[in-house]
Amino acid sequence: MCTTSTTSLLQDSKTSSTFFNKAITNMSASSPILSTISPPSSPAMSIESDFEDQDETTTTTTVQQPRKIKVMIIDDNSVNLTILSRLLNKHFADTIQLTSVQNSGLSALDQLTKDEVDLILMDIDMPVLSGVETTTAIRNNDSHSEHSILEQNMKVPIIAVTTSDAEEQRELYRQVGMADCVSKPIAIPKLRMAIEEAMKTVSTNG
Amino acid sequence: MAVELRDDSDTGSDLSCPGSPSPSSPTPSHSRSSNNNSKRGQGIVDHATFDQLVDMDDEDEFSKNLVHNYFEQAQRAFGDMDAAMSSSDLVALSRLGHFLKGSSAQLGLLKVKASCEKLQYYGQGMDAAGQHSHISNEEAEEQIKILLIQMRREYEEAETYLRYFYGELPLPESPSEE
Repeated sequence: MCTTSTTSLLQDSKTSSTFFNKAITNMSASSPILSTISPPSSPAMSIESDFEDQDETTTTTTVQQPRKIKVMIIDDNSVNLTILSRLLNKHFADTIQLTSVQNSGLSALDQLTKDEVDLILMDIDMPVLSGVETTTAIRNNDSHSEHSILEQNMKVPIIAVTTSDAEEQRELYRQVGMADCVSKPIAIPKLRMAIEEAMKTVSTNG
Repeated sequence: MAVELRDDSDTGSDLSCPGSPSPSSPTPSHSRSSNNNSKRGQGIVDHATFDQLVDMDDEDEFSKNLVHNYFEQAQRAFGDMDAAMSSSDLVALSRLGHFLKGSSAQLGLLKVKASCEKLQYYGQGMDAAGQHSHISNEEAEEQIKILLIQMRREYEEAETYLRYFYGELPLPESPSEE
């Protein structure tokens, strides 16, 4: 479950560690919750002094490992949700924490008024609110309710996960503010690459 | 190492060619005869996609439960398609085609996915390739009527194959290979 406490980030040997570190560092700088997290480049230090004038309480500083990326997935098809959930938990467990599973754009918007996420994986063709419409609502802080979408969530990277992946559709996704598009059936390396690229935009944009 | 797991073939054509990619060299854990199932799967199931699901199995039989969920979903979708057909609701048929296309694609069910995509297009007044056409609603309905019969057959073929895969059906006697 999503918590505000730090959790260890075990680098997936298959991924580039650099982008994750930068992304988490950047998030740390902007988020009071994460401000206690030291970048992983900071060496782990345990300081104990034997000096007489040392305060009787010794100061021990241990490196804080970056927390996992909190991910929300959205799809109206339960089979697709099950597959993506499993995929993330099996292949991205070291770096991703699946914190929210939503079966509609409306329920996703509602959740985004309550909890912060770092990344959204979103289906496109959904009834009532499509993925494009949901993305537009997120970017425009239109939660379709009386509550506002949390500020961090308005800029969260959003990756389309869809069979509607023709070039003109990908262009539309970009125009509404999506970071990338991963085709179904999901190829794990492509999903990994899309997540890497999306999180890079977080690190560069602050 | 990047592995292309998706089969881009949309035509629903028979893919039982020896060169069909199957980089994971599937050994179905639940089948009685892996060689027979691998060959029978060609054209029905893209094992490069499907095996990715089987690889995520734990003691919870994830892939088997998933497949059964898909069976239920497909049956509901077919029922909804019949209802939409009865009321000539092409929009609903298109939506249902797209809905089932997604999960069929995720399971690697090649023919079902291709037919679902055609249904999606026909329901929008397009041709099978997704290009705009000038056919009337009545002509589109006729195409869909034929397509639904084909889709059911393809689904049943896929369901049978998957039930063999999980040992829920006894494998038929294989003809001796030449």
